[in-house]
Amino acid sequence: MKRDPYEQIVSYIVENQEKFYRLAFRYAKNQEDALDIVQNAVCRALDHYRELRNPDAVKTWFYRILVNESLALVKQRNREMPVGDQGEEEIPYYETGFETGNLFEELDVLEPDVRDIIKFKYLEELTLKEISEIMELNLNTVKAKLYRGLKQLKETMQEVEV
Amino acid sequence: MSVLEDAKKTYDQIPIPDELHTRVEAAIRNSQEGMRRERKMVMIRRRNQRFRVGAGAAAAAMAIFTVALNSNAAFAKEMGNIPVIGSVAQILTFRAYEKEEDGIGISVEIPSVSMIAEDTAGAAEAINEEIYNLCSRYADEAVERAKEYRQAFLDTGGTEEEWLAHKIQIKVGYEIKAQTDRYLSFVVTGMENWSSAYSQSVYYTLDLSDASQVTLEELLGEGGFEKADEEIRSQMESMESKSGIQFWTEEEGGFSGVTEETKFYVNEKNNPVIVFDKYEIAPGAFGAIEFELER
Repeated sequence: MKRDPYEQIVSYIVENQEKFYRLAFRYAKNQEDALDIVQNAVCRALDHYRELRNPDAVKTWFYRILVNESLALVKQRNREMPVGDQGEEEIPYYETGFETGNLFEELDVLEPDVRDIIKFKYLEELTLKEISEIMELNLNTVKAKLYRGLKQLKETMQEVEV
Repeated sequence: MSVLEDAKKTYDQIPIPDELHTRVEAAIRNSQEGMRRERKMVMIRRRNQRFRVGAGAAAAAMAIFTVALNSNAAFAKEMGNIPVIGSVAQILTFRAYEKEEDGIGISVEIPSVSMIAEDTAGAAEAINEEIYNLCSRYADEAVERAKEYRQAFLDTGGTEEEWLAHKIQIKVGYEIKAQTDRYLSFVVTGMENWSSAYSQSVYYTLDLSDASQVTLEELLGEGGFEKADEEIRSQMESMESKSGIQFWTEEEGGFSGVTEETKFYVNEKNNPVIVFDKYEIAPGAFGAIEFELER
């Protein structure tokens, strides 16, 4: 008999909660907000568990919810605390138990979606196919952007070293 | 590339607060409570079944009961505590029982409709008889099927203990779809948890003014079938692109137009909702599929 999809989602969440937290923290850059994101994403996923048509896709399905929750929080925070220019992902500084005010700023030279792809690939260690599903981009587009990003990173590093 | 390696190291060092587990737990518990609430409502409905009659006595009681119920509005009201549909019709569990035999569990809830207006009694009576026969037949056949399955299981080397672990459940019941000022719409279903092949659901929609069964044609009006086909096809298209449902083509046995036999119910907005069973127009993984038609 098939396993109850609800139970399946619950055990997936329990097993992977630390990964979710790191991803949320990467967006939120502080503990309180990252916890909120994870909690909201779990609530939302379980409320809508019937929408998961294919139980094998639970990972990309949940990540999409998690990323959406993260972006929603960042957006809301930007609205509440307007900052000077309208730059992409303009995050006000928060005191964070974790010392870095801006994590991974080396990657900030990249275009936003290229940067997202690189982070998904090298930090969350998702496959390109998973990334394409989460970002709702064509797989070839993801590949092209990834290679462009890697090339650009290599160039900047050389500049720094010189 | 060292930039990426460094970033990954930093990433993996993001400290996990102790609170994470409690927050995740809280979210899960919250959702489970929501589910329990849903289930509890079903239970409350169950509690309204007041007639736990022995299997043998039920059939004899039925004739008397139905007559009393339908010929006497006061008697019907007196039953009290039953789900009330408007003030003109009531649906109640006429017979309910649960039993288990040889590891085969069966729970049956047979509904019956009672119209308060006296001049419509005859119509409701005919429907009740039909529902009663339908439910009894399904329950009997389902038990028969499960017994055959058990025999086959034991004959092929399965043990009694392994059989019990199957927890076979047969369920016959009903669900009220809508109770509006004009219609009473409900579905009677039979299910077996070990095989979806025999699941059965029959929809009833009654016109409350005269207790007659409403046909799809009456609901849709003249030329309504063609319009419904069009609407369903366009909804299918948007479902295909939005949720990735792959419908079977007409040649593969998929949707070929609504007919008088097409299943439907009426929702709270008095709109007809067309229902296709699992496997009827799309692969079983997509379950039963419904189309609401705006009127």
